[in-house]
Amino acid sequence: MPDAKGRRIALGCEGSANKLGIGIIAHDPITGEALVLSNVRDTFVSPPGTGFLPKDTARHHRAYFVRVAKKALALSGVSISEIDCICYTKGPGMGGPLTSVAVGARTLALLWGKELVGVNHCVGHIEMGRAITGASNPVVLYVSGGNTQVIAYAEQRYRIFGETLDIAVGNCLDRFARTLEISNDPAPGYNIEQLAKQGGRVLLDLPYAVKGMDCSFSGILGRADDLAAQMKAGEPGPDGEPFTPADLCFSLQETVFAMLVEITERAMAHVGSNQVLIVGGVGCNERLQEMMGAMAAERGGSVYATDERFCIDNGIMIAHAGLLAYETGFRTPLDESTCTQRFRTDEVFVKWRD
Amino acid sequence: MATDDNFPCSLTLRVPFPDARLASVALQALRVDKELSGLVKRELSTVASPGSEHAGETVLQVDYKATTNRMLRVAVNSFMDSLALVLEVQEEMDVDVIESEKASI
Repeated sequence: MPDAKGRRIALGCEGSANKLGIGIIAHDPITGEALVLSNVRDTFVSPPGTGFLPKDTARHHRAYFVRVAKKALALSGVSISEIDCICYTKGPGMGGPLTSVAVGARTLALLWGKELVGVNHCVGHIEMGRAITGASNPVVLYVSGGNTQVIAYAEQRYRIFGETLDIAVGNCLDRFARTLEISNDPAPGYNIEQLAKQGGRVLLDLPYAVKGMDCSFSGILGRADDLAAQMKAGEPGPDGEPFTPADLCFSLQETVFAMLVEITERAMAHVGSNQVLIVGGVGCNERLQEMMGAMAAERGGSVYATDERFCIDNGIMIAHAGLLAYETGFRTPLDESTCTQRFRTDEVFVKWRD
Repeated sequence: MATDDNFPCSLTLRVPFPDARLASVALQALRVDKELSGLVKRELSTVASPGSEHAGETVLQVDYKATTNRMLRVAVNSFMDSLALVLEVQEEMDVDVIESEKASI
């Protein structure tokens, strides 16, 4: 039920990858404005040179679920009776981690007598990005460890204009961090970004793989791994001089971000929009934001991005997108509150937009 | 449980709960996710505790059947992981627990 101010309130649970996030949001009944009441996250960080495996990640989410949920509830200041619904990530993502969080969300909903709302993770990112930045109808670049899509809204769906043909751009960066055995704390992509700032003496030649509106990253990763092996063996770069891990990070970022800017620009030209919204974990990368900003400025537009609180997976985006759906009457019956590893962005009927 | 030629390995878990409501919450939260393998069958129910039938169905009963002991072990281990989370959420986050913690601050 709404609180004393008539606000609708949702608790959202996210755990599709290595971040467990639980957040509480309120929607103003008149303005529709979203107010973040709490946004708590705990990240499973694997040792350098390794990635996060589904089983270990699921164990992390189960171990921290109660701690994170209690903290989110306490920080929000709301009482259980004021909460309207419990939202959880239905997919896409890793099966084990998704299911572990869904079990926790279901138990809370049953104990508290609340309705469940299953949320598409990608739609969560898009709606949170729109709410935070105020971008009304942008072309969306969704870039993370698991997803790479260029999206535009049309007729009640977020339509996918272009996407990766193999691995996600964030997966390419994460795996290259493993090759260099860079720390995964706070995130491999963040550490690559910092290292890249020290590079740039030389732009190493990597494949540029844009195919129409789509991208491919696995071949680029393969070539970057080869170059890293050459570097470790003490071989010189193309100019006869030695090159460093920083040069490799710089070259990888410049190449893959240029590809993303190209497909995003083409989508903007298609739909006649000059706004671009970047969401997903890779969206925190300031070099990507800078390159996208330069392109948007040339088109007389601007780039909208959020910081790590909202870019990186979090519970509040699930609460927000779930509450938007809840307000249109959407519910997920308990028997159907399963998770699915594959759940495309354009499968969701976006009833809450015109 | 009746033996089944194709599913010779079986195990029954009986998990007692403080009351019928919590047993029912656990049943509903856990039965949604289907077994991932066709080599394992699982049935969940709530039953009365022997000797204290008046308290209602306070016991979560889980009947597992599998083709091999290995499949049985994998499935039951996974179930126990989920069960542990349900129990922790019940213990720490039921309405009365949260309200009493709030009142004591």
